[in-house]
Amino acid sequence: MSKGVLVDITKCIGCGSCNVACKMWNNLQYNQTAPEKGSGLDAENWTVINRVETEKNNEPVWRFVKYQCLHCEEPACASACFSKAIKKTKDGPVVYDVDLCVGCRYCMLACPFNVPKYEWDKTFPRVRKCQMCAGRVYTGDSPACVSVCPAGALTYGDRNSLLAIAREKINSDSIYVKQIYGEKEAGGTSWLYISDIPFETLGFRTNITTTPLPHYTESILSLTPAVGLGWGALLTGMYVYNRRRNEIANEKEKPDKE
Amino acid sequence: MDDHVKEDEQQLNKQVTRRSFLKLMGGLGLAGITMSLAGCSNSSTVEQAGGDGWLPQQYQGRGTWPAQVRGRVPIDPDNPSITRDDQKCILCGQCMEVCDNIQTVAGHYGLPLANDVICVNCGQCTLWCPTAAITERDDIQNVLQFIQDPDKHVVVQTAPATRVALGEEFGLPPGTWVVGQQVAALKRLGFNAVFDTNFTADLTIMEEATELIKRITGEINKPLPQFTSCSPGWVKFCEYFYPDLLPHMSSCKSPQQMLGALAKTYYAKSKNIKPENIISVSIMPCTAKKYEMQRPEMISSAHYWNKKGLQDVDVVLTTRELARMIKQQNIDLSKLPEENYDSMLGEGTGAAIIFGATGGVMEAAVRSAYYFITKQQPPANLLNLTPVRGLEGVKEAAVDVPGVGAVKVAVCHGLSNARQVLDAVRQGNAPWHFVEFMSCPGGCISGGGQPRSAVPPSDEIRMARINSLYQADARAVRRESHENAEVLALYQDFLQHPMSELAEELLHTKYTDRGKKIKEITV
Amino acid sequence: MAEKDKWHFTMTPTRYVLLVLGLVGVLMMVYRLVFGLGSATNLNDQWPWGMWIGFDVLTGVALAGGGYSTALLVHILGIKKFSPIARSAMLTSLIGYLLVMAGLFMDIGRWFNFWRPFVSWGYHSVLFEVFWCVSLYTLVQMLEFGEVATEKVKKGWHGLFKKILPALLIIGVLLPTLHQSSLGSLYVIEVGKLYPLWWSMLLPVFFLMSSFFVGPAMVTVETMLGARAHGHKPDISVLQSLIKVSGYLMLVYLVLKIVDLAYRGATGLVFTGNLEGNMFLLEIVFGVIIPIVICFTPQLRNSVGGLVTFGVLVVAGVILNRMNVVFTGMADFMGGAYFPSVIEWLVSIGLIALGVLGYLFIVENFHILPNHKLDQATIPIDGVNSKTSNIEMSN
Repeated sequence: MSKGVLVDITKCIGCGSCNVACKMWNNLQYNQTAPEKGSGLDAENWTVINRVETEKNNEPVWRFVKYQCLHCEEPACASACFSKAIKKTKDGPVVYDVDLCVGCRYCMLACPFNVPKYEWDKTFPRVRKCQMCAGRVYTGDSPACVSVCPAGALTYGDRNSLLAIAREKINSDSIYVKQIYGEKEAGGTSWLYISDIPFETLGFRTNITTTPLPHYTESILSLTPAVGLGWGALLTGMYVYNRRRNEIANEKEKPDKE
Repeated sequence: MDDHVKEDEQQLNKQVTRRSFLKLMGGLGLAGITMSLAGCSNSSTVEQAGGDGWLPQQYQGRGTWPAQVRGRVPIDPDNPSITRDDQKCILCGQCMEVCDNIQTVAGHYGLPLANDVICVNCGQCTLWCPTAAITERDDIQNVLQFIQDPDKHVVVQTAPATRVALGEEFGLPPGTWVVGQQVAALKRLGFNAVFDTNFTADLTIMEEATELIKRITGEINKPLPQFTSCSPGWVKFCEYFYPDLLPHMSSCKSPQQMLGALAKTYYAKSKNIKPENIISVSIMPCTAKKYEMQRPEMISSAHYWNKKGLQDVDVVLTTRELARMIKQQNIDLSKLPEENYDSMLGEGTGAAIIFGATGGVMEAAVRSAYYFITKQQPPANLLNLTPVRGLEGVKEAAVDVPGVGAVKVAVCHGLSNARQVLDAVRQGNAPWHFVEFMSCPGGCISGGGQPRSAVPPSDEIRMARINSLYQADARAVRRESHENAEVLALYQDFLQHPMSELAEELLHTKYTDRGKKIKEITV
Repeated sequence: MAEKDKWHFTMTPTRYVLLVLGLVGVLMMVYRLVFGLGSATNLNDQWPWGMWIGFDVLTGVALAGGGYSTALLVHILGIKKFSPIARSAMLTSLIGYLLVMAGLFMDIGRWFNFWRPFVSWGYHSVLFEVFWCVSLYTLVQMLEFGEVATEKVKKGWHGLFKKILPALLIIGVLLPTLHQSSLGSLYVIEVGKLYPLWWSMLLPVFFLMSSFFVGPAMVTVETMLGARAHGHKPDISVLQSLIKVSGYLMLVYLVLKIVDLAYRGATGLVFTGNLEGNMFLLEIVFGVIIPIVICFTPQLRNSVGGLVTFGVLVVAGVILNRMNVVFTGMADFMGGAYFPSVIEWLVSIGLIALGVLGYLFIVENFHILPNHKLDQATIPIDGVNSKTSNIEMSN
């Protein structure tokens, strides 16, 4: 069964335990200059908690939004990787194998959530992003971040049962926005979010296709064999035809000349 | 030692596990090489996918929330009292332990959040954090800047509790009485005047006892029991969780804020110093004081002079910060001669000294209240009010006051204990006239800014500091606040009488309902 | 003919400049390989792809499209009147692809791993198709060049090359068709990120068509430059017919673009006056519409000026199109800022300089240009001072 994590944004207190756990488990460095631009993710920050200051019922409210790789059901990054360095495992995590990586960075470009980051300062950089603690998930543990959340904002489990929990929550409690982010976005993601503030306000990309991104390229790539064979045959045919025609033309000319 | 650990680790790393052996053999074969070249070996991917670090024991295993989970408390990056260094945090959960179980703050409010990271600034987490990842916000540089500025007249006050703990930072046993050395050190650090918060502790008693009597007699229409208001962590706690009980809160400012207000009014006037040139620093056992000083209402001197930008207290340093400052100047506190506080705002009685211990404020108040009501010196048992001393969570006493009858008081320390008293008051079954609250277990002597002599703080050390305070009280010539000569002079020359109009303006305050910042827990 | 006299290459001031630029480029490339992308380029997490991919690779491949389009016209369709330009067009293409490979090699972070996709097949990636096709096509082109090369060296092999040439030519048209379109498909996955004026499911078709019609334009520009450099009169009649091929294709391209925009409801975006809209207009008006007008106006088409204008505009238009896809169209989503670093410029310029030098060397030493027989080899001199001293005998 494919695993996932449900993030209940209304429950997050912004303690940052998940961030520290991620750093510990993945042995990530603390850089003094956290990126200001964008989501805040970088090569050494696989998960971040962004404080969003907004309003609800005309009262100012803060919401803490944990952000990390969403682990798409059909990941664009994995489909973009031409050396199979990124794969979706059976358990759900989308993982990266540095040994196979060529470093083309097409995954960074392909990701609809701008998640993969790069070790720009290294001679042989790696692509870096949340691995959903694939090793822990493999042995039945929850990802490091989930295991330390003191507020119950993160729930780990089978994606399907998480969807059921989420649906139950948003239907039974009127504070929630009636949307599960990640249910359909980019064709569905292993990480799911529910919130009482519209996701757009919280900085989520909401204008995102619900078709899995790999489907776009697959529909084109699937034509390749047909196009290749057809075009090849046509070219050969034309070549043979035209050569024969030229030969005939030459033969006709020859008797005249000689 | 370190080398041993390293060697052990290396040996551990050298051991061939079954998995690594299989991986090795798999890699040796032609098939294995082809597989790994072609990226077909899935197990290696999973193993490589992060996870080359570690996580504390309690987060291992298959537990899902909430089993085992501790995590840590949230700290706003803008918190004026405490900061946390993520690099030092080991997610041990000790901060959560103290905040949730002892102070009943974390986990005791409903979600989602309003626009606040709930914190009463008590700083107990700084004492429990075993790696010192959580520390006080360091304000030493601010103070140094002011001291170096020749235009500034920098005055400093020291709280009752710092004098029995500062020595611990210099190798002296817990509870060592270093009041004279502390003054000497502050003078060597370049402060222009060294005052004693004990002075305003006595002043607080004058005001607070007066207020209590007025409540009892019905002269002011406020409910009983009256709550003490010296502990800013407790005050904020009440504002968050029991805003409906705020009318019970004494309107008196804490001694720190009283002294700050007086330094820029009374003192400035008599010494003829421009109030904007006075910088008021305080040395506190408390991180919440850093928060208290920047509360927007704490600008009485600005109102008094009608000058914008004046703040009654400019910088608060904790005992730990003072110790660092002294060490940075290579001063050995234990070798310093004893010096005296400067006059005007420097005298304190035995009653003020015990403000630093749980029960101390109550005992001091009872002594003076007795005098105010009966115009007689209190009997000897009131100078040794044992029922309110010690580390029991909630303490009660009844004091017979001729003409009034039994005055019932309660004392609690640590905010979980406070909840018991507050719930009783809320339910209307509180027999008391006066209740003392202190945010930290044991009182200020174990405040969030005190030396980390034991992590987490032990009762043994708490008692050593408390005993030292009571011994000093017993030694004191004057043991009742109303005997403080400088306080009496203050009233005569400046304030006229307790709760006079000017006293109300400078020494009393209002509170903020923070109930909206938290949601009731609904489960 | 003595062995050492077999090769000749006269250095002129321009060539010295090119050589210096090339050497600097090589040094910078070494620097980049040793110290990594971060220290050599201005690429960042917002802009993982920059000048090397955008210009050196995507644009480079498109501009090298003259090779396969000419090969298709001359060798497959057997249109013999274009054969005078076939060899030089295909040589340009070969050199272009070698530069693309070099640029690509510079751009991959873990360059020692460049061979991975040959064994670890990420066949679901467009880049996989591009990678295989470009690699194979470069190989095929080198073999095709073998036919030219064996006219001079290793002559014993010439017969063999002659024999396999037909197969090479067919593969050599098939592969570019696949990867030229795939370069467009690369950006299909940018759905929602690439600005709607450029993102389309037809991206591969547009890329393929533009790479085909830019071929004759490139050949025109090259022929004109070459003619000036070598002081011979360009055969305008060939070029005139050639650009008509482009013209018809561009007409189809234009109609398809408009239909596609209308179908996706993005027509309104063209005239919003924002950066994207204006860049799109610039690309279409100057890169497509005006060249079409030139192409189908006989007076313009028959003049050297008209031909040159056509060539330059079409080439610039295709460059702009690729830049728009890589940069303009992505800027809004990516955020952040990117401008190529000095090293990125120096490497790109150095690569081009090396390419030009290589082209010149081969042209002078092999039978590439029609009116330029090897046995009466001249020392061609490029640039301004060519006319005075271009008929000097080498031996």
